[in-house]
Amino acid sequence: MKPVDQTNQMIIAGLLTWVLPGAGHFYLGHKRLATIFGLAIILPFLTGVAVGGVKTSVNPHLNRWLFLAEMGTGGLATGFLLLNNTVGGLNARETADVIRKHPSFQQAPPEQRRQMQTTLQPYVAYYPASDIAQIYLAVAGLLNLLAILDAMTRAQTGGLPVYYHELPPAAEGEA
Amino acid sequence: MSLLTGLLAWIPLLHPIALPTSARLWMFPPLALCIAVVYRATRARTQDRLLRGSLITFVNIVIGMWLIALAAYLVHAIALWLS
Repeated sequence: MKPVDQTNQMIIAGLLTWVLPGAGHFYLGHKRLATIFGLAIILPFLTGVAVGGVKTSVNPHLNRWLFLAEMGTGGLATGFLLLNNTVGGLNARETADVIRKHPSFQQAPPEQRRQMQTTLQPYVAYYPASDIAQIYLAVAGLLNLLAILDAMTRAQTGGLPVYYHELPPAAEGEA
Repeated sequence: MSLLTGLLAWIPLLHPIALPTSARLWMFPPLALCIAVVYRATRARTQDRLLRGSLITFVNIVIGMWLIALAAYLVHAIALWLS
């Protein structure tokens, strides 16, 4: 019965960390670690979105590999993608079409194209802000993968970290 | 007045921040600190030595990156000198 409980706990801890960094550790009772993981992952993610703006930074149609890395922090990335689709008059796909000058955008009437570009202008980040935003967001997402693995391991080992190794009692006695 | 109007119209997280090019360098240390903290936290059995360990890792990352940048600059300079 106990191993099943531990497995459930491991899955829940991993999923909670994926949804919100630090939540899995909080669930396991490691409140201080939860705060550390939460701050060290949420702050860079929010910095990335603040520097780059949500329309171009959290957009799977503009850079799918970057978005894949961002999805390491699944709850935050999904929330900001929903925000992206809600604000600014253009959804994520239309935003990507305007920025990449997709044929569907090129074929639109000139007046409509001008209006779309004017609508989008305040939301678009340029170099160096766009680069910095991408690096911050990707790193935050990838760091959360480490946090997910750590939460799952601590759930399985009763609080010990991934790389913790302990000598067996016999070896300790010999030493 | 236009600056004030622009500032009032700015919505955090929606509108990007207009960063100067020089800011790119100063955005590296905070990110390196976050990486150091998360890396050390995944190895910590207790949080007693986490701060010290994180700072050591942070310094290692910054010095390592600085040395890589120096090496890249030297390779670039040598390539220019040879051509």
